[in-house]
Amino acid sequence: MDTLPDSTDWLTTSLPHFSALEAALRCEVCKEFYQNPVITPCSHTFCSLCVRRCISADGKCPACKKGCQADRLVGNFAVREVVGRFVEGRERALEVARGVGREEGRKRKRSVEGGDDEGVYGEEKAVKRTRSQAGRTRAVEKPIEVLDSEDDEVEEVEELPEGTTRCPICQMVMKPEEVWPHLDKSCKGAQESDRRTTRSRTNPTIQSPFTLNSPRRPSHTTPTPPPQRLPGLNYALLRDTALKKKLQDLGLPSHGRRDQLIKRHTEWLHLWNSNCDASDESRKTKRELLRDLDTWERTQGPGARDSDASVMRKDYDAQAHVETHKGQFADLIAAARKARGAKSTAGNDTTSAQTEDGKEAVEKSHTTQTTQQDSSSRPYEDNERAIDTVRQKVRATNLTGEIQPPSSAPTSSLPNPHTNADREEPVDQGMANPFSSPSRKLPMFALPEEPVVDVEQSAGMP
Amino acid sequence: MSSSTAGKRLLKEYKALSSDPPEGILAGPCDEDNLFVWEALIEGPKGTPFENGVFPAELRFPKDYPLAPPKMKFTVDMWHPNVYSDGTVCISILHAPGDDPMQYEKASERWSPIQSVEKILISVMSMLAEPNDESPANVDAARQWREDRKGYEKRVRDMVRKSLGL
Ligand SMILES: [Zn+2]
Ligand SMILES: [Zn+2]
Ligand SMILES: [Zn+2]
Repeated sequence: MDTLPDSTDWLTTSLPHFSALEAALRCEVCKEFYQNPVITPCSHTFCSLCVRRCISADGKCPACKKGCQADRLVGNFAVREVVGRFVEGRERALEVARGVGREEGRKRKRSVEGGDDEGVYGEEKAVKRTRSQAGRTRAVEKPIEVLDSEDDEVEEVEELPEGTTRCPICQMVMKPEEVWPHLDKSCKGAQESDRRTTRSRTNPTIQSPFTLNSPRRPSHTTPTPPPQRLPGLNYALLRDTALKKKLQDLGLPSHGRRDQLIKRHTEWLHLWNSNCDASDESRKTKRELLRDLDTWERTQGPGARDSDASVMRKDYDAQAHVETHKGQFADLIAAARKARGAKSTAGNDTTSAQTEDGKEAVEKSHTTQTTQQDSSSRPYEDNERAIDTVRQKVRATNLTGEIQPPSSAPTSSLPNPHTNADREEPVDQGMANPFSSPSRKLPMFALPEEPVVDVEQSAGMP
Repeated sequence: MSSSTAGKRLLKEYKALSSDPPEGILAGPCDEDNLFVWEALIEGPKGTPFENGVFPAELRFPKDYPLAPPKMKFTVDMWHPNVYSDGTVCISILHAPGDDPMQYEKASERWSPIQSVEKILISVMSMLAEPNDESPANVDAARQWREDRKGYEKRVRDMVRKSLGL
């Protein structure tokens, strides 16, 4: 992926409405797909971690500002399921919606699935496809796609005692030679009761007992009971030493000033308790959570330095951004100058009309004023229509939280040295095509498509 | 990879703003190494004395963004009741919920993590069109706006012309 996936990816496809759909599946706080979604008593849904951080900052739901307590949050399983399914199909759906790469997509799919009737993705055939066909295909393709990426991660974080492996069915840790007898006799089977959502991790064709030598296990599921939520502490009642002890007992670093200890503990509660809202298969290990805490500490915590707040170059091609951005800015300025120049000769535009009899216009508009606002403090009623777009946009944005479609783009393409001339000069790094068309000159983001569940996925990876 | 939650969110916002820019607004990080300082350009709303102006501003984001709002400062001369003489913008969406020096803002208008750069810039654009008289950041501009509207508008238009080098 050379771009950062987000809901605007749909805008230029044949399915622009999917932009709003995808936006609805993303958390309004972090803009990622909901991770461990929970619903508040006021019926707003966020990632568990996001809303916990918000609540601990001001005790309110970020959407409606109603008071909200962390212990009132409950998992929103339906949203979790929908997000998971959407993400699984997203890339393919985008390909289809873009109407490009159909051949490639088909080929790749086939190689993954070992030859399937992928031809049905052709537009006309897809319409004729029956429900049951679709269901069957989905059932075939989903386990492999999901499993692959998550397995990679498992390999990375898993630590089993030397010479042991996991039962591929129940995840119990044991010596490899014990697995067959165990499967025959004592295996209790899968742990989760809601197998419907477990993406067939126990599907024997994918993780069969024949792969026992592999350190892989088919899921994140930890063979321990579901984690208990941690209660908050009344920090005011805790002396420094007691607070340090609490952190040590939790296995957390206990250095730093008192306020740092408190923030660290608070963030740990957020990480831990939001992990309790995770599905069994996406729940993180304590080690992963510690890594997340470390990342938080370096980037947002009390110990974070400003330099840590920056991102590394490969995150996105910022040079390209600076180039294109300056181009856009220059365009805008140039357009403005042109318009301004034109106006000064025209002389019959609204601006000058208002200059001459602005006061009268205000008086007149009293009678036609339709808004409830005190019109005496509103000088621009006579230009209501002109600023109405702006207002509508604000209103719509506030209502839906959705970005409104663009009405127009800057038009002029005259280069202009004025505004940014005294800012840093872009260094030529051989950027291809910095002045291409404004609507599509996104910098080349180098972030990979994010995984379904891992907001802090990059934690600890240099 | 970006390791901070704030950085990731800023990248997302930047991408959304670039691929779907609202009319009259441009914004993005101004330095390749730091996502936490953005430059923005706002077109003056039509039908106001700010019309035809293009106003550059700087946005500085805290490391715990979006829990806390950014600060916004125009980097050109501004004459507006809600803009301090140093360019700092003072509107409710830029104020955190607990932080209400003027005691006039509705909580619903203030910053919340679900607000965004785009919403800020749109609000600022609409602020240019309709100053908020109740919370003057620039008392002189507010008084002129109230008592000598023509003088206010002329001053703004002169400022716009000057900023465009005309
Ligand atoms: Zn979130
Ligand atoms: Zn709410
Ligand atoms: Zn139920």
